[in-house]
Amino acid sequence: MSDGQDTGRPEFTLVQVADPPSSDEEMAPMFTAPVSDGKRHKNDIFRPGPGPMVEFRGVTKTYDGGARGLDGVSLRIGTGEFVFLVGPSGSGKSTFIRLIIRELRATTGEVVVGGRDLATLRRSKVPYLRRAIGCVFQDFRLLPDRTAAENVAYALQVTGHSQKEVRRRVPEILSLVGLDGKFDRLPRELSGGEQQRVSIARALVNHPRLLIADEPTGNLDPDTSLGIMDLLQRINRTGTTVLVATHDQHTVDRMQMRVIALDQGRVVRDEESAGYHDVTGEVLA
Amino acid sequence: MRLGMFFREALRSIRANAAISVAATVTALIAVFILGAFIPSFMYVRSAVDAQTAKVDVDVYIADTATVPQVNSLREKLDGLRTDGTVAAVTYVSKEDALRIMKERLRDPSVLDELPSNPLPAKFNVKPSEAENADVIVAAVKDDPALDPTEGIVYPETTADRLLTAAKFVQWAGFALIGILLLAAVLLIGNTIRLSIFARRREVEVMRLVGATNWFIRWPFMIEGVICGLVGAIVAVAMLWGIKVGVVDAWASGADSALTKTGSAAGTIAFPLLTIVLVGAGALLGAVGSGITLRRFLKV
Repeated sequence: MSDGQDTGRPEFTLVQVADPPSSDEEMAPMFTAPVSDGKRHKNDIFRPGPGPMVEFRGVTKTYDGGARGLDGVSLRIGTGEFVFLVGPSGSGKSTFIRLIIRELRATTGEVVVGGRDLATLRRSKVPYLRRAIGCVFQDFRLLPDRTAAENVAYALQVTGHSQKEVRRRVPEILSLVGLDGKFDRLPRELSGGEQQRVSIARALVNHPRLLIADEPTGNLDPDTSLGIMDLLQRINRTGTTVLVATHDQHTVDRMQMRVIALDQGRVVRDEESAGYHDVTGEVLA
Repeated sequence: MRLGMFFREALRSIRANAAISVAATVTALIAVFILGAFIPSFMYVRSAVDAQTAKVDVDVYIADTATVPQVNSLREKLDGLRTDGTVAAVTYVSKEDALRIMKERLRDPSVLDELPSNPLPAKFNVKPSEAENADVIVAAVKDDPALDPTEGIVYPETTADRLLTAAKFVQWAGFALIGILLLAAVLLIGNTIRLSIFARRREVEVMRLVGATNWFIRWPFMIEGVICGLVGAIVAVAMLWGIKVGVVDAWASGADSALTKTGSAAGTIAFPLLTIVLVGAGALLGAVGSGITLRRFLKV
């Protein structure tokens, strides 16, 4: 089993750490020593190549009952980009994300992720797609009866890593996201921000080339949100494509990254280095 | 390699959903217990019926007018059947023997003294090796010239048929009952696993999210079902053992002499074999029950 992290993907080299007080040396091993057990290619879903990480071509998603999730969306997200996906509730952000991880299938149009047209991806290959994509959610989605370390370990076990590998990588990645000393805490013993860090660690541990965060700071206070966004940005600097769906106006304005705004299933704005609102000042959220 | 991990996951789930797991185990226990009580009883009844039908015998009556060569040729025919295995034993009962047996049976043998001569014909008493062979024997000798024209061949046709019908009925009723029991157990275990899946649906969602394959998600549930089935079966076997030692063996040793007297040596399944069958059945119940449920409720 494989999460396939070679095929031309940039090696991780980090990084300035803003918030958790840990040094570069501590982080280095996780990124510079990718696992190579020789079986990596077998289930690598992504096709190597210079193309975009995510491409939507005229994608419409109509739900049973006629509701439109997305309406003729065409866009590209390049490898290594950091993109905010903004828009009010019901604008199609979640539909967009669920199409990328193939929780949903497009009604018409093509969704291409890592060079793979998801319409032709066999059902049995979907798990391998999800291993190549890290996912972070507003509600963290941690397993409540497992410690932070066990939650992260689970993602590694799923991909068939040995216990030895698990014992090596889990502490590294937890330190990296700033959870030193909290490895054995259960989710309920951690703050919201810490739980979200566990969930980011879990998303990262298989070296995904695409990290998707759906309202990652939705349940967090502003200061904590800032820390989480910094972490996501650091991850992006290692070459991982990051897509963040958010309502968090403050963060989007502060970070000045590419912003894709959705409204009623359509792309209403797509700007490089932008804020939450468009230049006309129209409030979208 | 991963079996250890699946096992740990299954045990974790059993601990987390203790009440549900106990319900599944008790279901398996009840099903296996009933199965375990039924199999030996059923086999005992069958064996008793077999022993009864084995006692069916055929009387071939000889005409008083039959000549000695005719009687000898009839005896040779019957002996021939014995060599080919159709017949277990042939006994000659003379007219005098027949009269004596009759006298023994009558409450008031003096009535026979009134008879001017012995009216009872001589006969061959033929024991078939299998109850079903009675027809073959009858067919072989029914046109023999030595046969008594009035009595001919007498065998308890109706008794044999009725016993055979009863034996078949017991057999089919047994299969049907066992089938229904197993089906009920499978459905109940399946339902328990469904509850377990429901209780852990969030967990399953997370598993999918991090890219667990279908079977990776299914194995722990599967093992959970098998563990419940196995534990239930083992407890059921222990209970059955207690009942066997405490009740059945005591009863059987008392009844043994009576059974031997009637010559019906009805036996049943050996306990070690029964244990293997029941434990296997428990594991299979768990596997099939959870397997069916997983197919229906755990689609990625």
